[in-house]
Amino acid sequence: MHDVVNQLINTTFGWGWPGWLISLISYLLIATLLFLIAPFQMLFLTYFERRAIARMQDRVGPNRVGPEGIFQPMADGVKMFTKEDIVPDSADKWIHLIAPCIVVAPTMFMFAVVPWGPGMVPVDLNIGLLFFFAISSVSAIGLMMAGWASNNKFALIGAMRAVAQMVSYEIPAVLSLLAIVLITGSLSIVDLINYQGGLFISTMDVASVPDFGLGWFIFTPVGFLAFIAFFIAALAEGERTPFDIPEADSEIVAGYMTEYSGMKFGLFYLAQYVLNFLLCAMTAIIFFGGWQGPGVGWLYSLAITPANPEGGWIFNVLSGALGVFYFLAKTYIFFFVMVWVRGAYARLRIDQLMDFGWKFLIPLTLVNIFGATIWVGLTRWGAAEGLAFVEGWSPIMRWAIAFVVTLALNLGTYLYLARIYAESQSERARMDDEVLERLTNVA
Amino acid sequence: MDLLIQIIFGLLAALIIGAAMMVVTVRNIIHSALWLITSFFGVAALYLVLEAEFIAVVQVLVYVGAIAILILFAIMLTRHISSEGERLLTSRWWLTAIVALGLFGAVLLPTLAGQTWNIPLPTGPAGTPAPLSGVEELGREFVGQFLLQFEVAGILLTVALIGAIVIAFEERSRRRRVLTLSEEYTLRQRQQATAAKQAPVATADVAD
Amino acid sequence: MDIQRGNIIVMDRRTGKLRAGQGLLQGLKVVWDHWAASFRKNENFTQIRGNFTVEYPDERLQLPQAYRNMPVLLYDDESGHELCTGCYQCQRICPPQVIHITQAKDPVTGKMVPAATEFIIEYDACMSCGFCAEVCPFDSIKMDHVFELSTADHDSLTMRKAQLNRPISYYTSIAPDLWEGVKAGAMKKLQGNIKRRPGVIGMAPSLTEKIKARRQELAEAAAAAPPAAAPAAPAAPAGKLTPEEKAAKLAAMKAANAAKKAGGEAAPAEAPAAELSPADAKAAKLAAIKAANAAKKAGGEAAPAEAPAAELSPADAKAAKLAAIKAANAAKKAAEAAPAVAAPTTGNGTAAPTDEKAARLAAIKAANAAKKAAEQGNNE
Repeated sequence: MHDVVNQLINTTFGWGWPGWLISLISYLLIATLLFLIAPFQMLFLTYFERRAIARMQDRVGPNRVGPEGIFQPMADGVKMFTKEDIVPDSADKWIHLIAPCIVVAPTMFMFAVVPWGPGMVPVDLNIGLLFFFAISSVSAIGLMMAGWASNNKFALIGAMRAVAQMVSYEIPAVLSLLAIVLITGSLSIVDLINYQGGLFISTMDVASVPDFGLGWFIFTPVGFLAFIAFFIAALAEGERTPFDIPEADSEIVAGYMTEYSGMKFGLFYLAQYVLNFLLCAMTAIIFFGGWQGPGVGWLYSLAITPANPEGGWIFNVLSGALGVFYFLAKTYIFFFVMVWVRGAYARLRIDQLMDFGWKFLIPLTLVNIFGATIWVGLTRWGAAEGLAFVEGWSPIMRWAIAFVVTLALNLGTYLYLARIYAESQSERARMDDEVLERLTNVA
Repeated sequence: MDLLIQIIFGLLAALIIGAAMMVVTVRNIIHSALWLITSFFGVAALYLVLEAEFIAVVQVLVYVGAIAILILFAIMLTRHISSEGERLLTSRWWLTAIVALGLFGAVLLPTLAGQTWNIPLPTGPAGTPAPLSGVEELGREFVGQFLLQFEVAGILLTVALIGAIVIAFEERSRRRRVLTLSEEYTLRQRQQATAAKQAPVATADVAD
Repeated sequence: MDIQRGNIIVMDRRTGKLRAGQGLLQGLKVVWDHWAASFRKNENFTQIRGNFTVEYPDERLQLPQAYRNMPVLLYDDESGHELCTGCYQCQRICPPQVIHITQAKDPVTGKMVPAATEFIIEYDACMSCGFCAEVCPFDSIKMDHVFELSTADHDSLTMRKAQLNRPISYYTSIAPDLWEGVKAGAMKKLQGNIKRRPGVIGMAPSLTEKIKARRQELAEAAAAAPPAAAPAAPAAPAGKLTPEEKAAKLAAMKAANAAKKAGGEAAPAEAPAAELSPADAKAAKLAAIKAANAAKKAGGEAAPAEAPAAELSPADAKAAKLAAIKAANAAKKAAEAAPAVAAPTTGNGTAAPTDEKAARLAAIKAANAAKKAAEQGNNE
């Protein structure tokens, strides 16, 4: 964007504006674009979710407003805007007012590091991944404020649950990403995507692999396990079923949103869906290559880039369009999976949630980090790092051995943990029965 | 450009100090915790101005995302602490003030006085590695030069973690569990069954 | 998968086998199957998959014949006569009390006719219980199938008779079997009622041409035989009196007699029996007035003459009640030989559930009071 604005103002018009002004204008343009896109994503996702879940429940879903009901979210938006804004008498007025803003702001912030296509990233922070998760944890404060300021039991319980859940599931999410970060050796999201070129095998691991943009992490055992763990943690972080206990409507009305109405309620909704979109986007970026896909890399190599100023602008457009298409398609598929999971599973209890997070996901991701180190050692290290025995192997051989070893490790760990977890759960049920038995005898 | 950074720095400094003042002067303890979060954010922004992105993000992740939440949790789970109208100053506020001023004078004044301000930016030859701000550099230093400190901090945290678990641990058999509705129903059925069974010999078992 | 309704499906929980998430995957598979199958329409309810939705405004399910939503009134297509006789059964049974009926009266004789001049149902408070349709002895009220009745205000949901009227042919179109069951009895009763309806009373007001035709027919009949028809008409209903009418008449007579005695003079010879009014209310009123007059005379001094003024009031029954009460008071006062201070207060004027009854009671009271007065007067 900076280049384009600079080109336009200083070269085409010849006004000679200073660099910081150009930067300011380009950033403002990007921010405006994102602020326009984010609510539309939310609108589309609500419609998408309602239609998809309806199909899963043998229904049709909203199909009245506009062709196939596509304007239903607009109608809902109008409804939200025109509803009365009610603030409880005994609420803490200011915090009650600020809370939705604090919940929405981080989700908008997170867009700053999300790449939409080749060369289409608002800010390429070299700690983009960390930034993403650091900012996402801020919204927990907003939830807490909302729950406390409402002066309502349900709201407070919902906020407590939300924060407890977010804090505990951030750990497996970050640990599973740590494995990926170990492999790529960078926290930059752009690097992460660049790593995933190739065909089944990443070009970074085996340089001779043709670049079809399909060297995704999901094809490695480490990446696959990390993906499972991360996606489950993302469900918990986005408060999706089966982890929607913070707003469990059958238990605590609407959780921290109980005392909100009108557009403030709409803001919570907006934040939630935008967060879900971002989590799906992150899953697509980290494990499925983001905008990587057949053709994008080739088109981008012909486009005007800092590395290749002689390219044709048409290839910029084409590669951008194809990249954004791949990226959005992957993202929406993951959102569909979220809806699918929502259609399939019942809500967990809070103790089951904590058990699952702490006793299953965290050990699994820790072992996965170990697998990632093995992967890095086998594919990249040499005599200098103390792994002299790999020297003679060919890259493809090293990759294959790393694949087999990590697969065995991860699969074994998964099966072992699953057995232990199942046993502990049945043991727990047995002890619960014993408690019941004892209560019976006492009485 | 310099002027712009000066202005931004001034605004951030005002935000941090103002928020910190609010933390200690606001009566409602929840409000003061929220002002503390504002202050944390200001500090993170200050790190960003210093181009230490990693530290800034970690500041948000650790202080805002974890510590502030812990504080809020602690306040909200403690009874009667969040009520307003508590006295702001204790009867011995002057003693505290003297201690604080003394500490300030003893610790900070020499530091501030001995500081040389306005050092020009170090301009090394082209190609010098960036100052210690990236993740990779930090990581390498942690497992290299500062390994001992890193390990000590790690052990300390582990000890704290184990201590927390020991304090919070409660044997399951002693725990009072809240029964679910279906369990309550089962319990009631069993109780009725036992009562029906024991009805003829009820008096004999009372001493037990 | 085809499932016969009512069969029990036993799910395999796979306990004991390797538990490593297969259950979760199975659950996902089930939902996926539903999703994939939802793009075809589920026509048959033995299918557990497929889209069940009936897209309501475009598609509608056939409503069952016995479906009930709001009550309507039926009228006969051929004669144009309404089946309703105004018997008040529905008004009495209605749990939310939303039915209001005004009985029709013969304009010539003032006697009741088995028809309703007005019939109001407040749809906004109706609970669709169907008691009115069940209790109706003439099969006049039936439950309609129309359920799209939303309005922006309550007032437009207060249905008057013209809005409630539906032809029988409409009812046979929505519930043919139900009508077939009651058809014979209902039509027979209707024929009987038609005979007792003079003029165009009881015809559905919307059928203007039918009413016109009937008026013409009546006019022709009148022109054909003017002398013979005239005396016959009022005499016919006079023969049959309902118990209420009789009671009212009796009470009136008693009152009149008592008053006659008290006054010691001959009461006006035109006894209430002479003018056999069809409406018991009127009778009661008359009786009350007479009682009042009699009492007045008995007291020597004239009691205030408000009683007759009551006949101007719109509700005859109420007025009669008031008059009767006044008469009673006046009679009492007369008995105490107090000079009349015109204060016919309302002490015993509590509203009785049915006005006619109250009027009757009041008339009786008035008669009694008058009698007492007469006795005291005799003693003096």
